[in-house]
Amino acid sequence: MNAQVLSVFDELLRSPRAIAERSRAGGDLRPLFVASLAALVLGAGVFGATLATSRGGVQLLYSGVKLPLAMLATMLLVVPAFHAISAGLGRPLSFSGMIGLTLAAAGRGALVLVALSPLTWLCFDRGLSYHPGVLLAVACYALAGLSALDLVLRGVGCDVRGVLIVGLFAAVLLATGGQTAWMLRPFLGRPSAVSVPFFRARESSFWDAVQQSSMSMLGVYPVTRALSAADGRKVSAPPSEQRENADESR
Amino acid sequence: MEQSLPIMVSVPRPTLGARLTSSETQGAAQELARLGAGLGLAGLYGLALGARSGGMALVQHALCASAGLAAVGLLGLPALFVLLALVNAPVSPSAMLSAGARSLASAGFVLAGLAPSAALLAVTIESPDAAAFVTRAGLTLAGGIGLFQLTSAVRAMLQALPAESRWKCQALLVGFSLFAIMLAARVWYSLPILQGAA
Repeated sequence: MNAQVLSVFDELLRSPRAIAERSRAGGDLRPLFVASLAALVLGAGVFGATLATSRGGVQLLYSGVKLPLAMLATMLLVVPAFHAISAGLGRPLSFSGMIGLTLAAAGRGALVLVALSPLTWLCFDRGLSYHPGVLLAVACYALAGLSALDLVLRGVGCDVRGVLIVGLFAAVLLATGGQTAWMLRPFLGRPSAVSVPFFRARESSFWDAVQQSSMSMLGVYPVTRALSAADGRKVSAPPSEQRENADESR
Repeated sequence: MEQSLPIMVSVPRPTLGARLTSSETQGAAQELARLGAGLGLAGLYGLALGARSGGMALVQHALCASAGLAAVGLLGLPALFVLLALVNAPVSPSAMLSAGARSLASAGFVLAGLAPSAALLAVTIESPDAAAFVTRAGLTLAGGIGLFQLTSAVRAMLQALPAESRWKCQALLVGFSLFAIMLAARVWYSLPILQGAA
């Protein structure tokens, strides 16, 4: 079994087509499930801990646990959607095949995250600050996500319909994964924060954060109504260096 | 005398998704069952949205999510059949029922598949606008897939028609699609989550 699992690791990286075909064909998918799950837990755990090196301490453990948790929870939530979209667009796969394909894709993505971990660590070690660090993490997730979606695409078929299915699935994955990760943050942790919480209190949403960041990029900095009413501040005024995202941690 | 033993061949049972979206035409009872399954599955999406407020909102959202699809089935499909018959399209009531059941079942199945993600998003997103956006996106995705299934099935029935009649049928299909979108949106917009319910 161990040898089989190790050979699946190799296959995940080198032969996504073979993995996709095996998922489609069904049969005994246990080695694929075990290897993909192991890759996901180890890979995401290592990358999560690497992200936390900017903060250090107990954040290393928290992020190492939370990132695999976020990826697993996302997988559980999106597999039914993937199954339904695929069947609805005329490519029905067995549910176990669908789980195998999704898990293998997540495992492949996690292995890419492992490969990116040394570079990420080096960047943080050389003094990469918080906000560029967030951007670097996003770029790593994007790379891992693309390699995962490549495997999924081979599973559903590399034609227009396959691309449409994968595109719609990616949209569901982005929304669900984004919100799941948002609920489990912080992953980096602010160096200035006194304590390190395992979870932050529920506030706003991933969607609101994306909207707010987009507006900030355009130079619009929203100030809460109560605050602006109290001191008559301009809503479009950029925040001071210290104030910017002072209460936020990703 | 040699007697051959019967060979047991295990035929893999098609998945629920494959059965609901299959293009095979079945009897009226099976088609109505497929339609009912689709509407029931759409209710799961409504339940997920209703989890934002809980209580009666669960039932309200479940009924409303199914009602959008049911409205298209009840009001749109008979009208489409009549209009296609007027331009001598080779469509039979049973084929139309099959195409309608398949498309509504597909939409319902997609809504059910989106339900786990919708539940997470509906419960954890604070902003009513963002929750409404996510809800609309799910309904649009499922409705779009259902409409795609229906138009594909009807277009397949029109293959043998002369070009002129086919163009008329295509125009009718475009008109029907717009009507179906407006009708489903009209019903779905009564979902409390789309009216800013926290």
